Amino acid sequence: MRQALTWKLLAREWRSGELGILLMALVLAVSVVVGVSSFVTRLQSALLSESARFLAADMVVVSRAPVPTSWVTAAEAMTLRSTEVVGFPSMAVADIDHMALVSIKAVSMGYPLRGELQWSEEPYGAVRSGGAIPGQGEVWLAPRLFALLDVNLGDEIIVGEQPLVITGAVRGEPDATTAVFGFGPRLLMNTADIPATGVIQPGSRVEYRLLLGGDADSVAEFSEWVTPSLGQGQRLDSVEGAQPSIGETLDRAQGFLLLAGSLAVVLAAAAITLASRRFGERHTQYVAILKSLGAQSREISRLYGRSLFWIGMMGTVAGCILGWALQETFIRVLGAILPVEPGAAGSKPVLIGAVTAAVCLIFFAWPPLRRLGEASPLRVLRADLSVADAQRKRDFFVGSLAIVGLMWWYSGSAVVTGAVIAGLCVVMGLGFIAARILLSGGRSVGGFAGSIWRVALAGLQRRGRANALQMVIFAMAIMLMLLLSVVRTSLIGQWQAQLPSNAPNHFLLNLAPEERPKLEDFFSNNDIRAETLYPMTRGRVISVNDAQLPKWEEVMEDGSPRQREANFTWSESLPTGNELLQGEWWSADTQGAWVSIEEEFARDIGAEVGDRLTLLIGADPLEVTVQSVRSVDWQSMRPNFFMVFPRKVLEAFPGMYMTSFRLLPEQKSLLNQLVRVLPTVTVIELDIVIREMRAVVDQVARALELVLGVILMAGGLVLISGVRSSLDGRLRESALLRAVGARKGLVLGALWIEFLVLGGLAGLLAGVGAEVAAWSLQTQVFSMSWTPTPVMWVLGPVLGALIVGGLGVWSCRRVVNVPPIVILREF
Amino acid sequence: MIKVNQLLKTVPTADGDLTILRGIDLSIAAGASAAIVGASGSGKSTLLGLLAGMDVASGGEVWLDGVCISSLDEDERARLRAEKVGFVFQSFQLLPALTARENVMLPLELAGVSDARQIAERFLAEVGLRDRLDHYPTTLSGGEQQRVAIARAFAREPAVLFADEPTGNLDTRTGERIVDLLFELNARVSTTLVLVTHDERLAGRCDQRFSMTAGELSGS
Ligand SMILES: Nc1ncnc2c1ncn2[C@@H]1O[C@H](COP(=O)(O)OP(=O)(O)OP(=O)(O)O)[C@@H](O)[C@H]1O
Ligand SMILES: [Mg+2]
Repeated sequence: MRQALTWKLLAREWRSGELGILLMALVLAVSVVVGVSSFVTRLQSALLSESARFLAADMVVVSRAPVPTSWVTAAEAMTLRSTEVVGFPSMAVADIDHMALVSIKAVSMGYPLRGELQWSEEPYGAVRSGGAIPGQGEVWLAPRLFALLDVNLGDEIIVGEQPLVITGAVRGEPDATTAVFGFGPRLLMNTADIPATGVIQPGSRVEYRLLLGGDADSVAEFSEWVTPSLGQGQRLDSVEGAQPSIGETLDRAQGFLLLAGSLAVVLAAAAITLASRRFGERHTQYVAILKSLGAQSREISRLYGRSLFWIGMMGTVAGCILGWALQETFIRVLGAILPVEPGAAGSKPVLIGAVTAAVCLIFFAWPPLRRLGEASPLRVLRADLSVADAQRKRDFFVGSLAIVGLMWWYSGSAVVTGAVIAGLCVVMGLGFIAARILLSGGRSVGGFAGSIWRVALAGLQRRGRANALQMVIFAMAIMLMLLLSVVRTSLIGQWQAQLPSNAPNHFLLNLAPEERPKLEDFFSNNDIRAETLYPMTRGRVISVNDAQLPKWEEVMEDGSPRQREANFTWSESLPTGNELLQGEWWSADTQGAWVSIEEEFARDIGAEVGDRLTLLIGADPLEVTVQSVRSVDWQSMRPNFFMVFPRKVLEAFPGMYMTSFRLLPEQKSLLNQLVRVLPTVTVIELDIVIREMRAVVDQVARALELVLGVILMAGGLVLISGVRSSLDGRLRESALLRAVGARKGLVLGALWIEFLVLGGLAGLLAGVGAEVAAWSLQTQVFSMSWTPTPVMWVLGPVLGALIVGGLGVWSCRRVVNVPPIVILREF
Repeated sequence: MIKVNQLLKTVPTADGDLTILRGIDLSIAAGASAAIVGASGSGKSTLLGLLAGMDVASGGEVWLDGVCISSLDEDERARLRAEKVGFVFQSFQLLPALTARENVMLPLELAGVSDARQIAERFLAEVGLRDRLDHYPTTLSGGEQQRVAIARAFAREPAVLFADEPTGNLDTRTGERIVDLLFELNARVSTTLVLVTHDERLAGRCDQRFSMTAGELSGS
């Protein structure tokens, strides 16, 4: 066939609208893949920078000596922003009677690079955030220091040799968990004042932190550049290493987003496949006639090869543009409520979209057309396609493998891919069994049912194969929608459960035994419910199996065993939320000199079950044997301890107490009274952390909702194109029924039944498939416990029946509104 | 021109193999005209399809213009069809997406004829559809569609023209015009004509007449 003719035929095809349908499906599918996956990629990078807030930077150079200025220059040359933080313990003196050991953090302009510094003007006043640090000559104090030092706003305190004016209270630091400089309460000052204080002497315990911020490439570049020159006592901390309590939330959110993106790929593939099949079916006659007129299969192949190629190109380009516009619109519209500034999407989404389109066209659209070209024309005209059918399974198999490969490539996770595939396999397996039953059993039911049922069941049977496929695709789409909803609901539910709204939101540490009545009075006077008091002792592990551990300052490399100081408690039973990893728990009245240690603590001091530890509590030594190793749920807002002893062991030591309590926002000023009544206690304002975490969780949850919405839309599109793909046959048959005198009611009723049965069955399969996939995802990917979702089993069939039924009948409504002859003429 | 030996056709059905043609022998001379008559379902269309190389026989041989089409593969048969065969289907088989003119142009274009448009218009005019050039098949009546199909088969002036009930949908006058056209072509370019028809008058005008009964052929 000459080139010109091919184009001519293509142009005629285009005009007839047939190519348009396939092109539309392709554009939609590609734009969904590109849109969802670039939206997801951008959200992901946003979430990653969300965890950067716990470092206050994208990367930190940590050093025992001042960071060389050449590094700062180099970082700036790589377009990184930087700011310096210096931390050390020191004394703060208000007057001769009031002094305290504080943990000083000196910050400079630009701090923090990520996250926000929270502060207030009054000690427990309204929290403000962002934009400010203490100026030169100023300090901000942790609220309890005001009581401890008996100072007020505007007073002077002396650090080293330098008097500084108190201008605020520091309430929350983004890097509080990663930058710890000793145990005293925080004093925040400006680095410009450090020389004047004269507190930093050779041998002082100082940590210098160079905070760096910028795009991922520059950060990686700097990391590569600086790593070889890192000396003793220097290291790089990056976002991945930061272990904020919110980290798991973000991890799961990322998992969810990956899942959503993969589902978009599957849905797009389903949509293209459906459209391709329809295209192929509607071209059976075209090919047959071309063949009867003497066109050879090679020519026909070239015609359709070329059509598909150009459709593929146009569809991909248009889809990419539309997808890009889609996600850009999302980001624009949602910019205000997005967690943080979205990152760049890169080219991967576009590549994924293009490959999805290519795979679908090559494996699902092309083979039926190619086979048509090979069959004899009379065969094709009689629609006797048994020869061609035999090969279909192989195409389907290869195509499905390709889609699985795509999903894997996209998600980079075999488990996510596997879980979705498992669900889909269940759907397909059950789907074909259901179709079998439907096909064989339908007739006998039809025998005694009314005539609407007979017509409907006959329809279901006549289009048996097509219906089975359609049902499976409906089921897949519904399953993916259900799956994502379920995963989202349980993720968000779990996050909310982590942040209970009526749990204690303040910790109180270092309560002396003789102060207990004062605290009880304070609580009852102010109507605050008292929670359990935990005994708490502070001590230091100095040796393991008689081998002396080096002090913190003496250890240069990371990870080697060292002395650790920690808070202990005693307990008769395993604390709630803890899990025994090794060893056994003791009986309540044990006399053994035992201890149970937390797993990371165990790693830090280099101890295992059976090891003998020597501790120093105050000046008194204590020898105990490690009886068990525990894991602790640090995300729970409960007091957690590194070391837990049997009651008898610790009772002998003078201890303090800790407790938790709940304050409403309007009660916050009570804290001022509390620290004046009990100046030695430490109050940890968990409510600020919780508020921070809740903000993150809310934003992440909102992002997930959005993605879910997009996926639901994509699923809806697949359902629509699924219904459309079967329209031709149904329209003609319904028109014929009308032509031989069937009432509107009968035709519509039969259509309703047919689509309701299809949709309902699809929904049921979808429920089962979604359950299987949810189970594997929740246990394997999201490390959550799995509970069945019975509502899905009901919702699936009901929604499936209603949506598919409604869509189907709506699409076929013409058949009762238009005289039958008009429709019959079209075939 | 056409020679058939012991032609067999069986098709697989749900209830086992169905034999449609049971050992057909026939021979039609070049430039001659032949009519096949017979009851509905006796296998006429099936035979015609096999003669035209549109389908593959289960046994026996079909020779068309000196070529044994039973030994050709599908592509070779396609080339043969493009070069020598015109076919009018019982159910027209027009492409719904193309206009009447484009339907007629299609075989010409496939053969690379340069003035396809003029030829198509001329043949459409001959079958009386000069005013319907740009109409789509769905907007044409059954008889008009049949005439487009006939114009399409004629347009290439094939060596052999197979027509499956070409006048079945036409009124007597139009039917007669079409039949005249067929024989004119037969005479002018010595096209061999093979017709399936229920019309005894048409059958009578043909040089040869075969009658089909339950897959078996008799006549000369
Ligand atoms: N692919 C097939 N599968 C099953 N049966 C077939 C197939 N092709 C033809 N038949 C059957 O073979 C018989 C002959 O068919 P054919 O179309 O040749 O009849 P015909 O003589 O042209 O009839 P009519 O005059 O009604 O057109 C019919 O009974 C038909 O149902
Ligand atoms: Mg026939």
